[in-house]
Amino acid sequence: MLGIKINYSDDNDETSVRPAVVSSEKRTDQWSVLLVSVGENRDRKAFAQLFAHFAPLLKSFAEASRHEGWFPGLSEDLVQEVMIKVWQKAAGYKPEKASATTWIYTVARNCRIDMLRRKSNTQHLPLENEDFWHEPDEETPVSLLRQKRSEDKVQASLAQLPKEQDEILRKVYLEGKSHAEASEELGLPLGTVKSRVRLALQKMQILVAPEFREEIL
Amino acid sequence: MSSIKHHPSRAMLVDFSAGNLGTAESICVSAHLHFCDQCRNELMRLDQVASKLMSEAEPQIIDEDLFDSVMSKIDALPECTKIRKSDEKSEFPYPVAKLIAETKSPLDWRRMSSSVDVARFHTGQNKYEVALHRICAGGKTPHHGHNGTEFTVVLKGSFSDEQAVYSEGDFLLREPGDEHQPMGAQNGECICLSALAAPIKLSSPLGFLMKPWLRINPM
Repeated sequence: MLGIKINYSDDNDETSVRPAVVSSEKRTDQWSVLLVSVGENRDRKAFAQLFAHFAPLLKSFAEASRHEGWFPGLSEDLVQEVMIKVWQKAAGYKPEKASATTWIYTVARNCRIDMLRRKSNTQHLPLENEDFWHEPDEETPVSLLRQKRSEDKVQASLAQLPKEQDEILRKVYLEGKSHAEASEELGLPLGTVKSRVRLALQKMQILVAPEFREEIL
Repeated sequence: MSSIKHHPSRAMLVDFSAGNLGTAESICVSAHLHFCDQCRNELMRLDQVASKLMSEAEPQIIDEDLFDSVMSKIDALPECTKIRKSDEKSEFPYPVAKLIAETKSPLDWRRMSSSVDVARFHTGQNKYEVALHRICAGGKTPHHGHNGTEFTVVLKGSFSDEQAVYSEGDFLLREPGDEHQPMGAQNGECICLSALAAPIKLSSPLGFLMKPWLRINPM
């Protein structure tokens, strides 16, 4: 399914198109530039380009869902809902904090959960998933400016994960299975699932400080 | 630098980043993030992993009309597309402030013991009772055991038990079988957010008499 790697990567666009700005803190990849333009100028052409690129990926993300109560007919609804949110929220996008791809993923994740919660719930829901991701209105800490570099690393190493680690990451992130559900489904002890995720994350060097968090198995 | 010593487990952060946690657990993780740069930072990287997985997936064919349909919905949106502002400055993490805003104000504090008050929230789920607990300065709570999972995040002040002192932002997990006796710090009241999956059990011989008062009400 993932055999062919189409070069959709933000970072490659950046290095190949504008190598001179890589060192600057500004994010200049194609999708992020377009997203900023949607936010600042309500740029419909830019939005159409974002749509052409992201809608097919969002549909794929939607179809990967194995949440209880999810069915394929919801996929295009999710794509629509996410793209409308992208239009509405684009003004709040901060390119120095995340690439457009990461930002749009977070919108999609939040929409997917909210759709599921609304479906399975008739009572009033006081919170939406994006409320959990509310950021304090403060200056971007210096540490975030290093995010850009870390995105390069993540990009580079996903392809090099052993199959069993890749499989678990996909279950957790794309299918929406919690560690506990994944362990049940794969017939593996919970500890094994957790350690595979941890190994994958270590390999991708995305753990900030592996020592500070106790692993509760 | 923050002095937070107790964090959610990595598995919990990963599930949070993937959107696989329930509402009550998400409220607690989110409350911790309000205080903890370190975990916020890690989450941002976890989101990057997720977004790479998404962007490497095989693109699916999209119905030709979908773009027009989206644009017409966008055109029908009311003009004001304001970015949400944190309306009022609250000392509490955003989801907690929002839950407080949704309840009748002032908060419905109920006395649970001589030193603990509880205010329960409606959160739209039925697994955990989500509530604020207020321990008065120096207040001693009864020694108790846990029958179910409990998540606690210190929002204000600090408290201690036999093992450690917990201050603002600390995230605690209690599991069935754990027993402890929390005590409020001497220098001021302590407010904690908690999500409780089953009633606690008082350790004293006459504890069973208190049972009706300890019932929980997930909502």
